[in-house]
Amino acid sequence: MGRALLIWRLVIGDIKRRPVQAALLLVMIVTTTTTLTLGLALRKVTDSPFARTRAATNGPDVVAQISPPGGSLTKARAQLAVLTRARGVSGVAGPYPFASVRLTAPRVNLSALAEGRDIAPAPIDRPALSSGGWIRPGGAVLESGFASALGLHAGDAIRLNGRRFGVVGIAASTAQCFYPVSKPGVIWLTRADAMRLATPQQPLGYVLDLKLLHPASAYDFEFGPVGTRFFADTGDAESPSVQTWLAIAHDDFRVITVDQKALLVGSSLLALLALASIAVVVGGRMAEQTRRVGLLKAVGATPLLVAVVLLAENLLLALAAAAVGIAAGRLLAPVLTNPGAGLLGSPPTPPLSAEAIAEVVAVAMVVAAAATIVPAIRGARTSTVGALNDPAHPPRRRPWLIALSSRLPVPLLFGLRVVARRPRRVALTAASLTVAVAMIVATLALQYRIDTNNQQHSGVFFGTGGVADRVSHLVFVLTAILVVLAGINAIFTAWVTVIDAQRPTALTRAIGATPGQVGAGLTAAQLLPGLLGACLGIPVGLGLYQLAGGHLGEASPPLWWLLAVVPGTLIVVAALTAFPARLGATRSPAEVLRSD
Amino acid sequence: MTEPILVARGLSKEYGRGAALVRAVDDVTLTVDRGESVAIVGPSGCGKSTLLYLLGGLERPTAGTLELAGRPIHDAPESSLARQRRHALGFVFQAFHLVDELTALENIELPALLAGASPRTARQRARDLLIQVDLEDRAGHLPSALSGGQRQRVAIARALANSPLLVLADEPTGNLDSAATTDVLRLFDQLRQGGQTLAIVTHDSRVAATADRLISMRDGAFVDETRLTGGSARTLTEITGLEG
Repeated sequence: MGRALLIWRLVIGDIKRRPVQAALLLVMIVTTTTTLTLGLALRKVTDSPFARTRAATNGPDVVAQISPPGGSLTKARAQLAVLTRARGVSGVAGPYPFASVRLTAPRVNLSALAEGRDIAPAPIDRPALSSGGWIRPGGAVLESGFASALGLHAGDAIRLNGRRFGVVGIAASTAQCFYPVSKPGVIWLTRADAMRLATPQQPLGYVLDLKLLHPASAYDFEFGPVGTRFFADTGDAESPSVQTWLAIAHDDFRVITVDQKALLVGSSLLALLALASIAVVVGGRMAEQTRRVGLLKAVGATPLLVAVVLLAENLLLALAAAAVGIAAGRLLAPVLTNPGAGLLGSPPTPPLSAEAIAEVVAVAMVVAAAATIVPAIRGARTSTVGALNDPAHPPRRRPWLIALSSRLPVPLLFGLRVVARRPRRVALTAASLTVAVAMIVATLALQYRIDTNNQQHSGVFFGTGGVADRVSHLVFVLTAILVVLAGINAIFTAWVTVIDAQRPTALTRAIGATPGQVGAGLTAAQLLPGLLGACLGIPVGLGLYQLAGGHLGEASPPLWWLLAVVPGTLIVVAALTAFPARLGATRSPAEVLRSD
Repeated sequence: MTEPILVARGLSKEYGRGAALVRAVDDVTLTVDRGESVAIVGPSGCGKSTLLYLLGGLERPTAGTLELAGRPIHDAPESSLARQRRHALGFVFQAFHLVDELTALENIELPALLAGASPRTARQRARDLLIQVDLEDRAGHLPSALSGGQRQRVAIARALANSPLLVLADEPTGNLDSAATTDVLRLFDQLRQGGQTLAIVTHDSRVAATADRLISMRDGAFVDETRLTGGSARTLTEITGLEG
């Protein structure tokens, strides 16, 4: 009990002594856990939602449409008979009338498909309500993805071809892809209401839902003799179409796959970046702990106790960060999941299971422990006298860099020598910036392709504006998180560098360097890994884009876009590190030199 | 005819305020002439090091004026002070303050490089100074591979890199054993004889005895001043009580 209390006091005492660094470590781990929570939330969303929705709604195996001249129901029934009487069909629902309509509401004006349904539950395709109730005269039910994209809810009022309807419910269905994969969006009305919306220019069409004895053979049904005969018996003017549940599932899945791929790549990069950042932060904190370790050992602490204190401090921060990360992830999840909330299992705030929460907490603890364990053991093994005398690990010597720097102006001479002191930290900073720049480049490439395709109105997948927006939105959010993390990392690395180099900085000033030269040198020390990160980030980013399914051969961003990333990165790094560099450069050299 | 290199008038340095006010240096007036060696002695905490940092422009005085080679530097901008430190001043610290990852030769050439000398010139000057401090065989050694006395001799060589008007030394033998102290004292004596102006802060009477002038300090103020005649290599062995 006494030992636990001692560890608790030492841990809390050190956190209070260096609150800024503790806060930075907290931010790093929070970012990791937030991303992980987002990943788990989206996994929940994309975890077989089509199958669950299909089962819940008794979704059709085949959906056929036809638009007979004048909207004749008799004609439609006759032409659809080839399908309803075909061998292998086990159930039929419809045909249901539908009309192309103009949907208007506050800030909404677009085309929609109004489908007439019975008030009684249908034998096939019973849209699953996520809010409100089923249709009634004058009451419309909106497809979930459509309602989500338009921001409409049960209780809102809409106009269809100028007629007023109340939104009485929101529901999911697998009779078509969710909006915006399938356009226009679907609205269910009573048969009578739907039929009243038909106009001479937009006569009624009919939709038929079929169940097959062997759903897996749906493609055979579509492309076999039955489908062939159906298309042969109907003319182009009647716009016949047959869609199988396999095709609908494939289209839904394609969107979800892109989401998953983007999130997988993004969250993997984030995890790598966060680990690198945490290693820098913990390494920096440990470097400053050497004297404290010596002091603890001098007053009788065992090496084990020292290691436990160092570990406990970072694990405590990781635990707090995991809690914040889970909360932040849950708050951010709707930003990523809402636009495609067209299937069951995609509510605005996806639920997180106890296992998922445990997973996030475990990852946070493992990341913190992995970054701490080596410095903690090293600290515990350090001799007491050595730790008391030596404030940090001796810097590395790079003779060729020292010789090269002798030929450079003073700021670069100083900056290069600061870089040469801690090559591992420089490598971590460069890696962190490489990841951030790579993600920016990949985003630029994606955005360029979307813009190009939108201009050319080509491409089945990216040509669908809603889907492109969704992917772009997701990648943008991930990139923003990465850039923020890389920015924090750059500031912290600059801060650690300034602390580590305070003695040579003071000495250099004592023998004649100006604060401006030293400040520029400290900034240059951050720009060198920045330059490396920017140069490496461009090819890595393009590779990442290609790996995630992009096609550089089809639309490569202009060279100047990519080249502009290099000066852009350097400007941002210089701006972020200028403040810590200036603080380090203007600190009184007498104060530092006297303290030794 | 004496030529003053450094003139301080009414120099004061205060820390804190109100009840916590500490007057580290209190109304000090001092003139150091070209070629003169001045030792400032006093107990620990009397303000010697603070005075030295004030004289070297590493700290700003709270009151008083300071001139270096006829130029006021007490209120000079930081860039101007840096220039003075680069060209006119050399520092020797008790803790040596050598750059750990640089060899002895690289440490010595650093001030010349900062002053804009070419790498070749800076390297040659550093080699000459290493010979002067009798460490030419240690040129490629890192500070960690040098003894305390050798480190301090490297630090002295570094202080001389830009041929400064004045060398300021803060307890230069404070971290050294007797034998190393003798080496350093001999070096300072050589410098004094060579006409190098020196201001040395120390509480070691053996170091003080090698100076031309001895100033005693207590509680931040000068309390006594003595002009010495015996500070020279001739009496060094007697002063230190060791065989050189």
